[in-house]
Amino acid sequence: MIGEGKPIEDAAWKVTGRKQYVADMKVPQMAYGKILYSTIPHGSIIRIDTSKAEALPGVLAVADYRNSPMTPYNSAKRFIGQQVISNETIFAQRCRFVGDRVAAVAAESEEIAAKAIRLIEVEYEPLPFVTDIPSAIQEDAYPVHEGGNVITGMETHCGDAEAAFAKCDHVIEDTYTTPPIHHAAIEPHAVLADWGPDGKLTVYSANQNCFAFRVILSDIFGLPMNRIRVCAPAIGGAFGGKLEMTIEPVAAVLSKMAGRPVKIVLSRRETMMATRVRHGSLSHVKTGFDDDGRIRAMEFKIYTNTGGYASSALNVAGALMHKVFLAYRIPDMKITSIPVYTNTETAGAMRGYGSPQIYFGMQRQINEMAGILGKDPAEIQRINMVRPDSRNPASGEPIGNPRPLDCLEKALRLSDYEKALVRQRKSKEAGGPLRVGVGIALGVHGNNCFGVHRDNTSPMIKMNEDGTCLLYTGSHDMGTDTVGMQKQIIAEILGITVDRIAAVTADTDSCLWHIGDYSSRGVFVVGEAAVKAAEKMKTLLLEEAGKYFGVEPEEICLRDNRAWVKTDPEKSADLKEIMIYCQSVSNRELCVHETYEAIRGAASYGVHIAEAEVDIRTGKVRIRKYTAVHDVGNILNPMMIEGQLQGAVQMGIGYALSEGMHWDSKGQPGPLTLKKCGVLRADQMPDQLITDFVTGKGGEPGGPFGAKALGECPVVPAAPAVVNAICNALDIELRDLPASPERILHALKGGDKND
Amino acid sequence: MESVVLNINGRDRKIQVEKNWTLLYVLREVLDLTGTKCGCGTNDCGACRVIIDGEARNSCCVQARRLEGCKIETIEGIAKGGKLHPIQQAFIDAGAVQCGFCTPGMIMSAKALLDACPDPTEEQIREALSHNLCRCTGYVKIVEAVQLAAERMREEQEGGSAS
Ligand code: FES
Repeated sequence: MIGEGKPIEDAAWKVTGRKQYVADMKVPQMAYGKILYSTIPHGSIIRIDTSKAEALPGVLAVADYRNSPMTPYNSAKRFIGQQVISNETIFAQRCRFVGDRVAAVAAESEEIAAKAIRLIEVEYEPLPFVTDIPSAIQEDAYPVHEGGNVITGMETHCGDAEAAFAKCDHVIEDTYTTPPIHHAAIEPHAVLADWGPDGKLTVYSANQNCFAFRVILSDIFGLPMNRIRVCAPAIGGAFGGKLEMTIEPVAAVLSKMAGRPVKIVLSRRETMMATRVRHGSLSHVKTGFDDDGRIRAMEFKIYTNTGGYASSALNVAGALMHKVFLAYRIPDMKITSIPVYTNTETAGAMRGYGSPQIYFGMQRQINEMAGILGKDPAEIQRINMVRPDSRNPASGEPIGNPRPLDCLEKALRLSDYEKALVRQRKSKEAGGPLRVGVGIALGVHGNNCFGVHRDNTSPMIKMNEDGTCLLYTGSHDMGTDTVGMQKQIIAEILGITVDRIAAVTADTDSCLWHIGDYSSRGVFVVGEAAVKAAEKMKTLLLEEAGKYFGVEPEEICLRDNRAWVKTDPEKSADLKEIMIYCQSVSNRELCVHETYEAIRGAASYGVHIAEAEVDIRTGKVRIRKYTAVHDVGNILNPMMIEGQLQGAVQMGIGYALSEGMHWDSKGQPGPLTLKKCGVLRADQMPDQLITDFVTGKGGEPGGPFGAKALGECPVVPAAPAVVNAICNALDIELRDLPASPERILHALKGGDKND
Repeated sequence: MESVVLNINGRDRKIQVEKNWTLLYVLREVLDLTGTKCGCGTNDCGACRVIIDGEARNSCCVQARRLEGCKIETIEGIAKGGKLHPIQQAFIDAGAVQCGFCTPGMIMSAKALLDACPDPTEEQIREALSHNLCRCTGYVKIVEAVQLAAERMREEQEGGSAS
């Protein structure tokens, strides 16, 4: 069963349209909420008049900063006592970006709510604003928050990069930028909050972290945890965009005021303008290397654009720093990470969590290095990549079982790399309008929050009297089958079929505490927790079966939904009989839980090779062939992991070529439609997409059955692989994402290389 | 409000609609047919795709009152007698479902294609699906699912006509 492909466990619900997402929910007396957003990038509200909205028939409540809690919070807070910068409120009095929440209405219908929103009059006193990193970090820039726009500067290093650069044969140095992008989960954000007459708040929300939301809601409203229930009935894609709290307290406040359940479903425009984006970045990267292709030293200084509020400013900027030490055997490195505020949409978690930003410049320079040395980029990768016995040079800890080299060799083989290089050379010699280029990039990502903060997961398993069982797990299935994966593991250990397991998930009232679904921890932490819980249950079942047969527990084994006496194949019983015995004779219920904390971190690797065809007349790029090979330890479910990788490639190529949000000179965001946001469609995908994994290498220590994450890792190497391919096709250097046709044409015309 | 009769999944539904009500609004809010999803409301993502007189269309951009006399098919209507439609089954078997939010719209696009063209090329499939966005799958397994469904439907057809 482990290692066998199977579809996501709720596939039948989804193909029939019967899966109930939050937007689909209707409960008796439900009202509809709508939000009014700031239209200016920065300014204080000097007058707000809601009287006309209140007078509109059908309006049940109107909320703004004057009648709602103004407790500052951090939308990315995860547990009580976590040190975070709290500077967001449910509604703003001073608005910090176009899309900041100003007021909200609950009404009998969506139409009335929308009408009421338009009746609210707001007068602002505009303040100076900054929408990009270079302006925000100027000494005299107007501060988005008191204390200035530079939130902090964090640094990590190993060895002495400065001294090492002085001894290198070559040193290259440049600046790279990546834009904020929209997560583009196809389900817009949705919430249904019901503040009951007994003072208990129930929140149904499409989110990745019910337990964290409960903490923040408790902070804001001063409610004890027994009076808040948060659950995620279904999630229509998240990718980090539903990890931080956005509209939940708005629905809660409206529900309390209206005395009715209130549902808010954002439009696409609102989701794009007023939830979260990936952090934009600007990084200075410096690489020192020798003629033999060995990288001797690297230095990074990266600024991340966290937008209007702190949220995950420190988390993302902090997390990305650790990723650069996991790729190559470089003794001397230094990284400085600086999150800054701007008057743009708040940035948050997005698949990759800082890695796509920092790896872009890094992987571009590996390619550039190869050009300078006249070597094959594959060779540079090969010489420098970490080996399975490598240690993290910053922490001195072993990395685990990192297999980037195996990914590289397999990807080279699958992509028919040598032939691709020939096509690249020939297209240059031919000098036609279509140029072919091939690019390689390595990506790395973690598997959990080990070493950063708590990393717990607590599954619970209960046996039913007929030998079936129930899994209670706080984890949220965003479409990756994280719940099915746990069932698969439990089934394997208890020797039962998956259909004998049901699950209660992502519900703060029924599940034990769970730190949330992010940082690619689904397999490595949540999966291993399921192993531990299942083993506990197995012990109990062996004990009871032993008593039933009058033998020692060690003499029992479990398989095919039955307990067997190992030495006597005649003696076996369905687990139903064991459970009836257990309840009626032993007078005992079987219920176990495990509080699992990961014992170490792990790193996942991927090598991507893109073969691009660029039209030098238009700057348009078509990916002819794309190969992605990943190191995920042993594979639990090949069908789901393959699909997840293919999806990541779509996300990564979009980041490379077409996705990106920008703010104009008036601070207005765009694009705000899916048509224009650059997400790849079915006919824009690579002509050939090859995905594969490195297997049979011993698996990852500490992971369930030797497995580790795919998750976020594959969006890391995608953009640099594509851009390296374009640059190799045209002999140009692109340092900004996305590599749009305009930028390509500009570079071809010999445009300012840092443009 | 005006009265209109909509033929949805083979059944006539007489309803009162406002001028500006979209078919999507009527399906989800009036008839509780929430299998059809809203991902944008701007005709871009295909999550709300249904079939109108054999053609796949985004229900967020069609006014309900203009559809009197049209045959409308939604995701709720394609499984017959408790048996999934071959496209639904193929989406499951091929692993084409992840978060599932794009799935109903994808299936309706696929159905319109296969109803009209039982043996499509990969290019035709990609073209038909290019009106639907998916952020989870990279479309690979969705294309495979449509191919698998097409194959099974042809086999069924041949088996059916032979007997
Ligand atoms: S399966 Fe999630 S959007 Fe397609």
